[in-house]
Amino acid sequence: MKFLIQRWIPRLVLAPSFLLVVLFVYGFILYTGYLSMTDSKMLPSYGWVGFENYSRLFGLRHWNTAVTNLAIFGILYIGISSALGLFLAILLDQKIRAEGFIRPIYLYPMALSFIVTGTAWKWFLDPGIGIENTMHAWGWASFHFDWIKNRDYAIYTVVMAAVWQSSGFVMAMFLAGLRGVDNEIIKAAQIDGASGVTIYRRIIIPMMRPVFLSAFVVLAHLAIKAYDLVIALTGGGPGRATELPATFMYSYTFTRNQMGVGASSAIIMLIMIFSIIVPYVYSELKSGDQQ
Amino acid sequence: MSRISQDNAVAGSRLTRALIYTVLIFFVIYYLLPLYVMVANSFKPLDEIRGGDLMALPNVWTLEPWRDAWSNAQIGVEATGLKPYFMNSFMIVIPAVTLSTIVGALNGYVLTKWQFKGHGTVFAMLLLSCFIPFQIVLIPAAKVLGFLGISGTIQGLILIHFVYGIGFSTLFFRNYYAAFPTELIRAAQIDGASFMQIFMRILLPSSGPIIVVTVIWQFTNQWNDFLFGASFSGFDSTPMTVALNNLVNSSTGVKEYNVHFAGAIMAALPTLFVYIVSGRYFVRGLMAGAVKG
Amino acid sequence: MASLTIENLKKSYGSVEVLKGIDIEIEDGGFLVLVGPSGCGKSTLLNTIAGLEEITSGDIKIGPESVAGLHPSQRDIAMVFQSYALYPNMTVAQNISFGMEIRKIDKAVREEAINKVADTLQIRELLHRKPSQLSGGQRQRVAMGRALVRDPQVFLFDEPLSNLDAKLRVDMRTEIKRLHKRMGTTIVYVTHDQIEALTLATKIAVLKDGYLQQFGTPDDIYNNPTNMFVAEFMGSPSMNLLTAQVVDQDGLKVQLSDTESTPILLPVDDTPAMRSCVGKQVIFGIRPEALTDPEGADRTAQNVVEAECLIEVVEPAGSDTFAVTKLGGKEVIARLRADAQVVPETYTTLSFNMAKAVFFDPDSQLRIR
Repeated sequence: MKFLIQRWIPRLVLAPSFLLVVLFVYGFILYTGYLSMTDSKMLPSYGWVGFENYSRLFGLRHWNTAVTNLAIFGILYIGISSALGLFLAILLDQKIRAEGFIRPIYLYPMALSFIVTGTAWKWFLDPGIGIENTMHAWGWASFHFDWIKNRDYAIYTVVMAAVWQSSGFVMAMFLAGLRGVDNEIIKAAQIDGASGVTIYRRIIIPMMRPVFLSAFVVLAHLAIKAYDLVIALTGGGPGRATELPATFMYSYTFTRNQMGVGASSAIIMLIMIFSIIVPYVYSELKSGDQQ
Repeated sequence: MSRISQDNAVAGSRLTRALIYTVLIFFVIYYLLPLYVMVANSFKPLDEIRGGDLMALPNVWTLEPWRDAWSNAQIGVEATGLKPYFMNSFMIVIPAVTLSTIVGALNGYVLTKWQFKGHGTVFAMLLLSCFIPFQIVLIPAAKVLGFLGISGTIQGLILIHFVYGIGFSTLFFRNYYAAFPTELIRAAQIDGASFMQIFMRILLPSSGPIIVVTVIWQFTNQWNDFLFGASFSGFDSTPMTVALNNLVNSSTGVKEYNVHFAGAIMAALPTLFVYIVSGRYFVRGLMAGAVKG
Repeated sequence: MASLTIENLKKSYGSVEVLKGIDIEIEDGGFLVLVGPSGCGKSTLLNTIAGLEEITSGDIKIGPESVAGLHPSQRDIAMVFQSYALYPNMTVAQNISFGMEIRKIDKAVREEAINKVADTLQIRELLHRKPSQLSGGQRQRVAMGRALVRDPQVFLFDEPLSNLDAKLRVDMRTEIKRLHKRMGTTIVYVTHDQIEALTLATKIAVLKDGYLQQFGTPDDIYNNPTNMFVAEFMGSPSMNLLTAQVVDQDGLKVQLSDTESTPILLPVDDTPAMRSCVGKQVIFGIRPEALTDPEGADRTAQNVVEAECLIEVVEPAGSDTFAVTKLGGKEVIARLRADAQVVPETYTTLSFNMAKAVFFDPDSQLRIR
């Protein structure tokens, strides 16, 4: 009897989490998926409309702006954060005496909320009181920087703030990767006559492939979910110039009372994230099992 | 610990090293500048900010913006300052972090040391739940909270943060316990220890680091959350991030930048404090969250 | 090919001195093994020869020329690392030819060199694989291939076999010895395994705490250790070291006594050094194989003495039988024939080959000659 209980205890311990996740994650996903095929407006309603919401969604100018913005934002954010992170990691790996002082400074923005980051950058980039005004006060009268108020450029200010927040973290990932490189490989390359730059270019950076992949997955995931930063920095504006899918979903569902369209946009976001995450998690789990 | 010869550096020349240091210091300034701007301007009277030069230290130092932000500022309809919202955040985050850490530890224990048929699937489902865009659960979650009668309450937000924190907590503990020698569990079983005794007496005492990592990760994530707060909080359960955003982006009245900056620092202080006190564990959590398997 | 000379080499990290004045000279085509416990400085010494670490003072010469201060790639050396240090993102062929690629050698020449080395090491079918697809032994071969292709003046090996399993290690050891015979290149080889040292070397340098303890041929090191450390470190099971009293009773003898049994007296060569120790304690060193059953004793040996010893434990090891007894209050291992009939807890006759015995001063730990 005791033996039987012991046998079932592990499953009983895990069961509540499992049920909660099944309901709150997978059940909710199914429910949202169902809603996306209904004529829900302000409240859920269950009139079946098939894929009508999706076809409406892709016809919406706002949605197309949001997706284009996500592409611009995603590519620049991931590209710049990775490049800057790797660059700084390589510099910090040159036996820098002050490393213990510099590293935490590069990384601290990651501890801040996007709302705080957004607030700081919002006023910092604001032409009225921020950097432009400061340059004028310093006597550079022709200095002009109003991207945050400019429909065509505002999305780049989101990139700036996001890169500021995440690049230190990417740096830390690369630094850990660089520190993990077998010292003997570097010695072997030295004996082969490779210069410092060649060692990095031909041997060490190619060995960072897994780090690039991890960084890509983390950043892509953050980019698709990016909601708070846009809200705090630009509120989606000027106009709807910095709308992203995440803000689009929220405003269509809760302020514009187009729940069906909002739900379908959420499903599209899920598909975007899972198309990146699922293969990654799958391969990581598989390689983990082999070890 | 491994000693590298000096030649491993890109070049030994003094000029190169000076250049490296210059670039590194430039980026120190880059990362510190927004923080500096916030701090410096939170101590300035409003006129001084409007007069220009966001970079300058205050001419007249004043604590007024901090007092305003804390207890007088108009947020929503009432001029309560950020204080009640700051408290709300703690009241939401502390129970949610505690719960999700405990549950994550137990899950990790079961998934590594008491594997049963299908444990891989369960773990995969928990793991995948870490990465869903939370937008997708907003509508049904609002319905369920309403059904439970806790929509717009602190309890509602605790439940939400707890549930969506289970995935990462489980991931952290699973990966940590996977490296824990199973022989010790077997030995304890032979000694007659029960499921819970093994957990309490053998695993838990050596789980210190991973508990710290998990608590920091969950605390940072939940404190910094905005989406759930904005969606599910009511009049007296609004968390700090949402209140700060309301303060900064309210369209009425004069823009009190100094108060905004003071408020932003207040919202950042708890997580910054955690980061400064235990940065090593913070980084470990970030890495563990990034590198799965 | 060239000789290698190390002169009064010192190396320190800050205030910590790791190499404290090393002098070694190995002739052209010699096989020098650096051996010692971990932390003795042997790997640091190898790294300074390679140029991977700078020296604090002294000199290193390859052939007649000093290489101190030269970059590793200019020293005309090749190195095989403990972890093999293969470039994980390159194929085997690229790994082997990377050095030539850096020196901008023609592709055709490179191909030819790769093929030649691949044939020598029989790794032709592996050339297009990545290191992660190779077994430990195959990686070892590729690492050697990368060294061979350089055709250097001196080969450096840093514990190259320590990551292989026991059987493979013995095979590779033989292979390295064969390769050395065929090519005749000077080799410096670091190991902590004294069997590897004895089997491979033409000269062994034993290091401890940054000092060179002894430098000599394997035979010299094994049979004529200069101090107790070398005596105990080389050989397995290690040499028995017992406290004994030097007495003069019908010739010079050492007396082993413990509390229970009658003292054992063993005659020793009458040298002035030993005579001066009469009445004093010395450390008597005898290798297990010099302490054996009378039937297994070396018949050509000059000075064999027999004594009754109480056997405590018997450990048959297939090719030999080891017997543990107690002499002078200390546990002693004797190496008997495989089918020697010994029974624990009984007295058995053991024969001491005193020609092989060595004596040390208990204070200085140096050999008494």
